[in-house]
Amino acid sequence: MTDGTSEHTVRAFDRELELLGRKIAEMGGIGEKMLADGIDALIRLDANLAQATIVMDKRLDMLQREVEETAVSIIARRQPVGVDLREIVAAIRISGDLERVGDLAKNIAKRAVTLSQEQRLPRAMIGLRHMGELAALQLKDVLDAYSQRDVERADSVWMRDQEIDALEDSVFRDLLTFMMEDPRNITICAQLLFCSKNVERVGDHATNIAETVHYILTGEMLPMERPKGESMGGK
Amino acid sequence: MNPLYARRRRTSSIAMTLCVGATIFGLVWLSMILFTLFWNGFAGLSVALFTQMTPPPNAQGGGLLNAIVGSLILTFLGIGVGAPIGILAGTYMAEYGRYSKITSVIRFINDILLSAPSIIIGLFVYGAVVVPMGGFSGLAGALALAVIALPVVVRTTEDMLLLVPTQLREAAAALGMPQSYMIRKITWRAARVGLVTGLLLAVARVSGETAPLLFTALSNQFWSVDLLKTMANLPVTINNFINNPDPNWKRLAWAGALLITLAVLSLNIVARSLSGGRNPK
Amino acid sequence: MNEMSSAQTMAKDSEGVKIAIRNLNFYYGAGKPSLKNINLSLRTNEVTAFIGPSGCGKSTLLRVLNRMYELYPNQRAEGEVLLDGQNILAPGLDLNLLRARVGMVFQKPTPFPMTIYENIAFGIRLYEKLPKSEMDGRVEEALRGAALWGEVMDKLDASGLSLSGGQQQRLCIARTVAIKPEVILFDEPCSALDPISTAKVEELIGELSEKYTIAIVTHNMQQAARVSKKTVFMYLGEMVEMDDTDKMFTSPSQQRTQDYITGRFG
Repeated sequence: MTDGTSEHTVRAFDRELELLGRKIAEMGGIGEKMLADGIDALIRLDANLAQATIVMDKRLDMLQREVEETAVSIIARRQPVGVDLREIVAAIRISGDLERVGDLAKNIAKRAVTLSQEQRLPRAMIGLRHMGELAALQLKDVLDAYSQRDVERADSVWMRDQEIDALEDSVFRDLLTFMMEDPRNITICAQLLFCSKNVERVGDHATNIAETVHYILTGEMLPMERPKGESMGGK
Repeated sequence: MNPLYARRRRTSSIAMTLCVGATIFGLVWLSMILFTLFWNGFAGLSVALFTQMTPPPNAQGGGLLNAIVGSLILTFLGIGVGAPIGILAGTYMAEYGRYSKITSVIRFINDILLSAPSIIIGLFVYGAVVVPMGGFSGLAGALALAVIALPVVVRTTEDMLLLVPTQLREAAAALGMPQSYMIRKITWRAARVGLVTGLLLAVARVSGETAPLLFTALSNQFWSVDLLKTMANLPVTINNFINNPDPNWKRLAWAGALLITLAVLSLNIVARSLSGGRNPK
Repeated sequence: MNEMSSAQTMAKDSEGVKIAIRNLNFYYGAGKPSLKNINLSLRTNEVTAFIGPSGCGKSTLLRVLNRMYELYPNQRAEGEVLLDGQNILAPGLDLNLLRARVGMVFQKPTPFPMTIYENIAFGIRLYEKLPKSEMDGRVEEALRGAALWGEVMDKLDASGLSLSGGQQQRLCIARTVAIKPEVILFDEPCSALDPISTAKVEELIGELSEKYTIAIVTHNMQQAARVSKKTVFMYLGEMVEMDDTDKMFTSPSQQRTQDYITGRFG
């Protein structure tokens, strides 16, 4: 395993790599907040919080563009190899993942606005909230793993994805039961189904980031078969 | 203006003036010599110079034919003996023996020989050849000239061969070329202009030597191309004629000096233009 | 995953090995060795690149492979270098025949002071006596092999020195392949060339590797990455790492290699 701990002879290169890292860190921060706020807005049916969350996505999109442009420029000018190359490719991938996380959180927030008129929510919300907490934890852990270059932490995030998958299954079953009890619940449950899907997707993206972090640090890819939870009723 | 800069400019001007002055000083003497030669020798130039033999003292007319021919023979023979040995020795020093200790010893001895007074060389040949042979001869003269030409050729050959870049030799070696083949076909060829220049310089050097010939070939009043007898030659003839009050002889002496000067001058010019013009880019 | 037995793997490995270097030490005069205990193999019809900082010994190593160091006193090599199984460091080996099998192209283009035709024919004549028509064909073949034929076909009588730098270098390459060697060594062949000539020479190296085993020493890491299949990183006379070029430049296993290729050295 080799790393890029010492400094480049050409200092400007180090500065550029640092810039890239800072942008990713900022994106990570925004993504985490958007996820937490989106789920929060959904659970508490808080339309204002939801609106604030939706607006944050713009900044995330802009940052993703910047990260890509910076990365391409570094490749053109510095012809990076070894760990530098892996870092830059990783930055492009992670920024894409984080931008998608933002989109997913925005989507949850939008549905929160729609649902904010409702009076009561199904019991499955508890499961959904639990899922949201897990996904937020995964995201936080993987971003920490990235900034601290901790490969073990990244690997454990990669392993834990199956927990979110399992949770998603149980939330799905709950919502299905609720819909079957009373057809008037279908509207709410449909929205919540989408939300749970989105949270599960956030978990997937966190896992992607974990794979990327593993690649930066070891130069190798994790195995293709990600451990999946049992699924009933297809994805 | 910055005072440091002004001082530098002043120093520069002074230095420049001194350099130019020294050059002019040297050139002045050179032109005076040439002028004197031309002035005095021109009167003696005529077709007869090249068609008639040296006259006896206090006679009229006459030429320098036997001396000219004799000089040509001696020079040709001297170079013919000295140059091949010199080229081969220089080739050894620059190629086969480049890194050996003995080459530095040879170079050292060669440099001593190069600057040895030519009269010493003449005396050496006197003792080694003239005495055993029982008399002066053109052969001894040629040998003396060979000994004078040898170190010149050795020196220039080695210098010119050392100038051939090592990369060229390496490229030839990388093809699997045996060393003697490489030397003949590549190195000599690459250095050929320099080698020819060296030869011309050697010729120019020996054509004016007088002292060695005094003890070896001496001179001959009559026409003789017999190597085993004394042979007429320009330098000694000039020496003899100039020391005599006979004005005819004096005229011929100046003409002879002019001839030698012109020959050496043209050889040098040819050598220089060869090395200046034909260098590959 | 490949499931060859280790014996099979070794047999397959040694089949493809053109030059095997074992325990090579090299000395300039008395004193510490400039190459220390080098062990590596060059595979047939593959391009192997040698990279490393100045003074690491990569050019020295290259020049052992055709015993070019024998031109100079006080330089000696110890160990074994097996060309097709035969030790070329053995005393008494005919150096000229060795160099006919292992050719070399140098950093500075050095055409001989003769015509373009003669430059090529000269090397051929060392080994074969050919009638003019056949020689013409061989010269054309060599010049085509060096991607130079089109540019010089109507001026074969011009001096080799009248060509541009890039063309001169390709002439030297043509001269080398004309005698049909088995291995070609390139010692920083593009250092003195402009980028376009460099690209032409690199393209040429790619084509040549189909017929010859090639070893190239280069200061330019990107060039090593572009042209070679395997790369060797050397430092202070030792071999630090040898690997597939792809792997070497995306994730090398040694920290020193990483530091060098990413510009974190010194």
